[in-house]
Amino acid sequence: MWQVRDDEPTYAFLSDKETEEVNYYEAPIDLIARSGGEAPVDREMFINDEPGVGCNPNRNKQHAFHFTADNCIGCHACEAACSEKNDNPAHISFRSVGYVEGGTFPDFTRMNISMACNHCDDPVCLKGCPTGAYTKHAEYGAVLQDPDTCFGCGYCTWVCPYNAPQLDPIQGQVSKCNMCVDRLEVGLKPACVSACLGNALNFGVVENTPENREQAKVQIPGFPDPNISKPNIRFQQTKKMPDEVKRTDGMPVKYHKQDDGSYRPVVDQKKGKDIFWNIKKLSSRENPLVIFTLSTQAALGAFFVTFLGTQLGVESLQALTNSVMYVPLLLVVLGLCGVGLLMSTMHLGKPLRFYRGFNNLRYSPVCREGLGVFVFMICVGMHMLSVLPNNALFQSMFQSVFGSELIAGGTLTAVANFFGALAIPAGAVGLYYMYRCYRIPARPFWNHSHTGFSFVGNSLILGGIVIAVLGVPALMLQNLALDSLLMISGVMMATGIISEGLGLLLHARDMNAAGNEGAASHYIQCTTFGKSYQARNVLTAVNLLAVIALLALGMSDVVGLIAWSVVALSAIAVALVGRALFYVLVVPTTMPGAFFWKNKDFEQHARDIGLADMPQVGVVPDAH
Amino acid sequence: MLLSRKNRKPIKIADKQVKEWKYAVCGYCSTGCTLEVGLNAEGKPVASRGKGGAHVNQGKLCIKGIFEHELSESSGRGTQPLIRDKMYEDYQPTTWDYAFDHMASEFKRIQDKYGRDSVAVVSTGQLLTEEFYTLGKLVRGAIGTNNYDGNTTLCMASAVSGYKRSFGSDGPPGCYDDFENTHCLMAFGSNLPEQHPIIYWRLKEALEKRKFPLIVVDPRVTMMAQFADIHLAITPGTDLVLLNALAHVILQEGLQKQDYIDAHCNDFEAFKATVEKYDPTTASKICGIDEDMIRHVARIYANAPSAMSIWTMGINQSTHGSDGVCGINNLNLITGNIGIPGGTSLSITGQCNAMGTREWSSCSGLPGYRALEKEEHREEIGKFWGVDPEFFPKKRGLQQTDIFPAIESGQIKALWIVATNPLTSMPNQPRIKKALEKLEFMVVQDGYKDCETTHYAHMYLPAAVWGEKEGVQTNTERRVNIVRQFVNPPGEAKPDWWIFNQLAKRFENGQKIHFPESTSEIFDEMKVLSKGEKRTLDISGMSHDLIEQNNGLQWPMREGQEVGDQRLYADGVFQTPSGKANLLAMEYVENNEVPDNQFPFWLNSGRVVEHFHTRTKTGKLGNLNKFSPTPYMEINPDAAKDLGINSMQYVRLVSKRGDAVVMAQLTHRVPRDMVFIPMHYHDCVNRLSLGLLDPYSRQPAFKQCAVRIEHVDQAEAAKLNVERRAY
Repeated sequence: MWQVRDDEPTYAFLSDKETEEVNYYEAPIDLIARSGGEAPVDREMFINDEPGVGCNPNRNKQHAFHFTADNCIGCHACEAACSEKNDNPAHISFRSVGYVEGGTFPDFTRMNISMACNHCDDPVCLKGCPTGAYTKHAEYGAVLQDPDTCFGCGYCTWVCPYNAPQLDPIQGQVSKCNMCVDRLEVGLKPACVSACLGNALNFGVVENTPENREQAKVQIPGFPDPNISKPNIRFQQTKKMPDEVKRTDGMPVKYHKQDDGSYRPVVDQKKGKDIFWNIKKLSSRENPLVIFTLSTQAALGAFFVTFLGTQLGVESLQALTNSVMYVPLLLVVLGLCGVGLLMSTMHLGKPLRFYRGFNNLRYSPVCREGLGVFVFMICVGMHMLSVLPNNALFQSMFQSVFGSELIAGGTLTAVANFFGALAIPAGAVGLYYMYRCYRIPARPFWNHSHTGFSFVGNSLILGGIVIAVLGVPALMLQNLALDSLLMISGVMMATGIISEGLGLLLHARDMNAAGNEGAASHYIQCTTFGKSYQARNVLTAVNLLAVIALLALGMSDVVGLIAWSVVALSAIAVALVGRALFYVLVVPTTMPGAFFWKNKDFEQHARDIGLADMPQVGVVPDAH
Repeated sequence: MLLSRKNRKPIKIADKQVKEWKYAVCGYCSTGCTLEVGLNAEGKPVASRGKGGAHVNQGKLCIKGIFEHELSESSGRGTQPLIRDKMYEDYQPTTWDYAFDHMASEFKRIQDKYGRDSVAVVSTGQLLTEEFYTLGKLVRGAIGTNNYDGNTTLCMASAVSGYKRSFGSDGPPGCYDDFENTHCLMAFGSNLPEQHPIIYWRLKEALEKRKFPLIVVDPRVTMMAQFADIHLAITPGTDLVLLNALAHVILQEGLQKQDYIDAHCNDFEAFKATVEKYDPTTASKICGIDEDMIRHVARIYANAPSAMSIWTMGINQSTHGSDGVCGINNLNLITGNIGIPGGTSLSITGQCNAMGTREWSSCSGLPGYRALEKEEHREEIGKFWGVDPEFFPKKRGLQQTDIFPAIESGQIKALWIVATNPLTSMPNQPRIKKALEKLEFMVVQDGYKDCETTHYAHMYLPAAVWGEKEGVQTNTERRVNIVRQFVNPPGEAKPDWWIFNQLAKRFENGQKIHFPESTSEIFDEMKVLSKGEKRTLDISGMSHDLIEQNNGLQWPMREGQEVGDQRLYADGVFQTPSGKANLLAMEYVENNEVPDNQFPFWLNSGRVVEHFHTRTKTGKLGNLNKFSPTPYMEINPDAAKDLGINSMQYVRLVSKRGDAVVMAQLTHRVPRDMVFIPMHYHDCVNRLSLGLLDPYSRQPAFKQCAVRIEHVDQAEAAKLNVERRAY
């Protein structure tokens, strides 16, 4: 148990004499009641394996931070007390102070915001985490994360609107605010609260307004939409703020006052209006995910169309399925998925813990995505093994090795069809949850139908290319005409490009009008990456026209194949650039940073120039 | 998972396994917070926490204190004495014995050749009080140079000078409890949230209990200014005009406490005649604060049942710093706000033991606020130490800011630097560098061998730092508090008092004078010296253990007292010959370097909370340094737009002294014609600053000079930024 000192100051003690019944979201504050009686009273927390139940009378009530924004002086004492207690290195901080400011000298206001984990009622981190590392405890309502379970995928850092989970690239795992539950157990406020020097930060049972305070609001300027996760933080902010407040960090977002007095994010054109290529900047930490999503989508598209087409009696596809090239096609499908999964595994902080990726099927789209793709691979694998005996090449190899002819029975065909049919829903589930993974309210640039249009579109485009690459030799070996196959592949590509293009149009329209960070992402897309973005859009249109032209001309001779190849390469390039943009552009709804600390632009600058090599700068250098 | 019965993951929370907590007063600023350093089973410092029962901080600590235990493992510490013949050679390790012999013989050689005062000693506000006393004894009693001063001249000299001129003696008369009693607080150039966060918290606590007007005078919209009821965005360097004008209004409207003035103040008529000239209309044209506001503020202050003023470098670091302090004292004297609860002139001090050096180091005279100029003091100390009083000079010698010009002009040939880093901290660094190259012999004694000044020295002595030795420090409210030793110095590093003792043995007088072998014995010796009727600086009622038991004790605390006095001058008796305070008649002289066409921006400087002084400590601790790891300036966005400067862009600042490259932060905190640069970085603000000296205190005006802004190649600037960041 945490030791209360003999001379512990009174301000350090929790003091909730009375509490409300329900919170702002009308959920019971009593967590035993909220769990439907499932969680027991007086349960031991076993902090660091220590037994015993704390003396706190409110330990089964949802607790929350209370932040008086009027008072914060930005002195970093809360951040320091937190890092001191949790023994965190400079680059990790469970709590951070940033600020927004507005007005003109001397009529100027800076509002500091100190933010840690808000131990949400609807913890999106917990729901997103594939490993089940998160627990929302019936004690204090603390959302705690176990770094020893975490495999460092960082998905929780994507979904959290407050930047609370901290991904440590050195340790390869996430850690976060633990509400100082060890202190709470003995009736003390968290370390950050006890350390506050502006009398800004406080703590207690949620909805309780601290002594000398008059408000417990759920929002202040710069704070993301509380509906995303129902955070347990309440604010007081009585001083008027300027109509427009800006961030000092590099995020091109500012906040504008609306009629109802609340502030909504709008684009702050910090980077000017000039447009650039910035091709190098397209490469990011998320490169493995660019490969993973694209290659998996290619595999899904290729298998879906080949298998379903064959079943539906499309002749050229049946010819492909019956040809010696079908097994290689399946191998390519498996290989693409395998490479994808390998990439996404290598992307983890702790790749050897990949097997934990299925621990949270109940909530996590990441789990379901992974499981879908994995089951798809197994089914395709079984399907391939079942069709193998029918493969002419395999038969001849079998004969040369064993000296006897391989007789493939009808049962095997049924087995093959069974697994092939099973692969379809598995793959569909994988693709759907791949899409769901990016429908993150805290990342408005992704949280749009264009993600779906893009994923389906790329499945068709890249799947079409895979079919053509393997189907053309298959048909040529059988001296069959290529027209029909190229037609299928071409239609797939055209449909895919139309899907992708439609998504882009809708996305651009909505992001331009968006009152959120999505607009900021789009602004960066149109400026920092403006030329790359335009080139990608132009190429998309050119590719579509070229495919339609090739389809119309029905070219299947050598010139035609060369032309198809050029279009295919162009489509792959567009897919790569598009997906890279998808990852580098996203502006999360995080809290405003400071000029150096939690300023992505400074972090990047420090990495670029080598300052990050000094640990005391607090920026971790790039791994590569 | 989600509030369920099962599937709870284990809860692990860092446990530092603290086995013992050691008592210490903080080693950064002069707030004087008591903290406890936690040691694990191996005796390694692993945690810090504010002491719950401490008067000053009541369990709170600022960011620097919270990570203070990490200092014992920070990089750049010196572990053995180093020596070299020439500045361009590499240092070689040497023994303490050889180092002391060499140092003494060099000092003697130079003194024999060029005179006793050709050796200069520049000390600090960082040592323990016992060490200051010992150093004073060594320099005044044994080495015998009169060119001996502390770096406190860069921060507190104006306060000292102003207190002496007004009240006859140094010593801040108020205390932190005054916040709880005052009815109006006016802060001049003091940004508590950034500089003294714990004092700010004490003020905030007082304000939450009982609201009173807070008036802040600062050219920048600091957090403090933002939270003030009234913010006076003054033109840099014109505080005296505002203060005279406030006095003008008070006298003109008859708001003064005439009884108090008549009973306790000298020179009222001369004072009145001078402030007569500073009517608000005239004053507003100079200080940039409109006349109605001046009248308004004067009335609030004078009509408050009690009112207090605090100030820091905004006043002290100015060409009329001493006058500014006297102006504040004038204001409080005419309104009867000295020595009463909630009424005071409280200088918020700088370094952890700036007060200790003021009290006991003999820099400005002789120990215990004694003066070289007074024969009875020379006699008393000479007798006490066993030195011929004639050995002492009869007048104070050069101050730090005059020592460097004296090196430049060849009067001083040897320099001993103790725990300060003038290469970063002195204004007009190009001039300092050039001067240091002329020295025949220079010794740097410091905890950190990587402090920039060592590049110019011939000898480096590794000293113990905070927590590696035991002794007392005095804070802003005259509270003497103790830091216990909780860890051994690295390698051969030694406590400064030990170094002074050993060096003393190499001097003729030093062998005659008794140098005690522990700080508690030194403290006992100081206690004897502190006794005396009517002396304010009396610590005879204290002892090391008593200080710890009481979480610090304020002086005066005479023998037999249980605790010290909270306030000075409560009886209205001052330390002047007449026992009355002096009202000072002071004319404003405009001598600042002001912006012009060539150099159109004011350059202002100041602190940030995460750094201390020249970053030798805080630049190495990631959890502090990360909040401002590289030099930057605040510039008004409108000015930036005119110049085509974007956020995070590097720019070059140029003054008549030199240039500096900084990153631009765009903020309306500063007016359109001003830039603000944190003072902590090497090769930065002091390559630009002028530092005109205050005629009384010799403190430099760091905060008032003019610069222009130029574009630089961004890649080159980034390269330079990295190259200049050794820590």
